[in-house]
Amino acid sequence: MYRVAVSGINAVDNPGPGVGIAKGLKGGSLEVSIYGLAYDAMEPGIYMKWLFEKSFIMPYPSAGEEPFIERLLYIKSNYGLDAVIPALDAELPLFIKSSSLLESYGVKTFLPTEEQFKLRGKDHLPEIAERIGVKVPETRIVTSYEELSKAIEELGFPVMIKGIFYKAYKAFNISQATSYFNSIVAEWGYPIIVQQAVTGEEMNVVGVGDGEGGHFGLVGIKKLWITSLGKIWTGVTVRNEDLLSATERFVSEFKWRGAFEFECIVSNRDIYLIEVNPRFPAWVYFATGVGVNLPDRLLKAALGLEPERDWDYPAGKLYVRFTDDFVTDMSEFQRVVTRGEN
Amino acid sequence: MGKLERLAVNDEGFIFDPETGNSYTVNKTGLFIIKFLKEGKSEEEIVKALSEKFDVSEEDARRDLVDFMEQLRLYGLLEGENV
Repeated sequence: MYRVAVSGINAVDNPGPGVGIAKGLKGGSLEVSIYGLAYDAMEPGIYMKWLFEKSFIMPYPSAGEEPFIERLLYIKSNYGLDAVIPALDAELPLFIKSSSLLESYGVKTFLPTEEQFKLRGKDHLPEIAERIGVKVPETRIVTSYEELSKAIEELGFPVMIKGIFYKAYKAFNISQATSYFNSIVAEWGYPIIVQQAVTGEEMNVVGVGDGEGGHFGLVGIKKLWITSLGKIWTGVTVRNEDLLSATERFVSEFKWRGAFEFECIVSNRDIYLIEVNPRFPAWVYFATGVGVNLPDRLLKAALGLEPERDWDYPAGKLYVRFTDDFVTDMSEFQRVVTRGEN
Repeated sequence: MGKLERLAVNDEGFIFDPETGNSYTVNKTGLFIIKFLKEGKSEEEIVKALSEKFDVSEEDARRDLVDFMEQLRLYGLLEGENV
């Protein structure tokens, strides 16, 4: 029995990947007991006892390394902990930095390196695209209204206005562009990415790199239906060889280690790289559902076991996400609030 | 392998493109034509078959076939080498 902690158990309208990861682990070939790592007593995963045997409220990563590691070691010494699969961008730098320390305590991870993690910044996309031979929408990085106007003049409408890590809006005129610019600056600060709006099919690939240039499986999908927050709610598996071989080039060129999501727009035979996420996406259960159980494989890699590498998934499998509800006791919530665990 | 050969087509006229994830529906006539195109039949052969099957003149059949193929091209389902 392996004891594994998984974060991102906020299965809300902007869902974290934790529940999907847990479903994969439960359906995998290893016997596991899963702990949920939460940042708020209201995160639904805490109450999903059929997936998470126990859950723990974690200190915010911004509070520093010490309280965070202490909390993990508390879990380790009281309940046992063999591995952690972090699933949120905000906690990854801390986990990456502390991975050797955690390993010395017997808590395994399988994460990208610090350099690989930095590639998630949209300002790095042109570099990635060039090295793997794909396109990137024409991009300007701006930090003022003057630069914004100049960028828009050069790119023309419609134009994408994006934060460096979060948020992306399509603007059709200058007042929309300015308003999106202001709202992203207010929430996330500078710089702002102004990008040519590319039309085509929105396709994503999820995978786990082995850190040596190979991988433990890839699954390519197309988004069919997204919510107003841009979250995939329905999708279909695709086998687009251009996209899959571009993803393999990405993995081998950067010797990617750990989970990733490779987001692209495919327009005929042109592939435009939109974003690289250094973790599983919230829809990762889709891969498990088509026979490529990436969370299970990542756990094996973390534990030093040899994961499977086959990934011959069928095209035309449909992913359907839905909302669900259940009833539990208030005492469950009380325990989380008063003890920080349940 | 050409684009058309890769398309998954079922008997009810539902078409799935495994490369782009797009799906389409066609009526009975469209399905009839697509099946012939997938088999690599020529325009002349399809016109004849259409005319016999649906009891229309070859001229009408040809006009509908050209129309339909133009639609397929528009959706990127038909490449230059087909017919």
